[in-house]
Amino acid sequence: PDGTKKRKKRNRWGDATDNKAAGLMNLPTAVLGNMTSEQLDAYTLHLRIEEISQKLRINDVVPADGDRSPSPPPQYDNFGRRVNTREYRYKKRLEEERHKLVEKAMKTIPGYHPPSDYRRPTKTQE
Amino acid sequence: AGTTSADVEQGRVLCLLNMVTAEELLDNDEYEEIVEDVKEECSKYGHVLEMKVPRPSGGSRQSTGVGKIYVKYDNNESASKALRALAGRKFADRTVVVTFFGEEYFDVNAW
Repeated sequence: PDGTKKRKKRNRWGDATDNKAAGLMNLPTAVLGNMTSEQLDAYTLHLRIEEISQKLRINDVVPADGDRSPSPPPQYDNFGRRVNTREYRYKKRLEEERHKLVEKAMKTIPGYHPPSDYRRPTKTQE
Repeated sequence: AGTTSADVEQGRVLCLLNMVTAEELLDNDEYEEIVEDVKEECSKYGHVLEMKVPRPSGGSRQSTGVGKIYVKYDNNESASKALRALAGRKFADRTVVVTFFGEEYFDVNAW
């Protein structure tokens, strides 16, 4: 960064040590087996679903400072409480991503079972 | 985080997974930043000869290779070092998965 152009996000790299969700997933991240690209895609899909599930379980949903997108205008409920808090927005975003990925996994991975704490969203557009 | 599965053949090309989405790659500024971030980090482990970041083109967002980042080092040792160092790291709040990739496929963009 030379200061002439403002970056959208700071450097995206973070340490493995502050990768809490990955530490709890217990899935290999250095893949040294010979996988076909289909197997690799299936594995990555599975890993991302587990990663999101773990983040939701430990409530590690809000990205670090430089990784956040601009906040939308606040919305309040009838009692004057803010509805779209940062935590709420990122949690929802992760849940939506996980839902899409689970649907994809069910179509592409034979015998795939979603994580036990995964619930299909109640409002589905059929 | 940096756990490994069984040993097999290595090489000097790496494939990095679970780092970027098709949506991020469609955005020119974001794409440039991603390339910059990855190149800078990968260069810490050795000389990077070439890096390829397939982008979505035409109507197909999910064409093969999109979402993966391929890095070619000038020797096997640098590639192994990078693999061990990068696996399990965080990249924009996603966990980096790394594997070796066939150089002959890399050279012809056969993702």
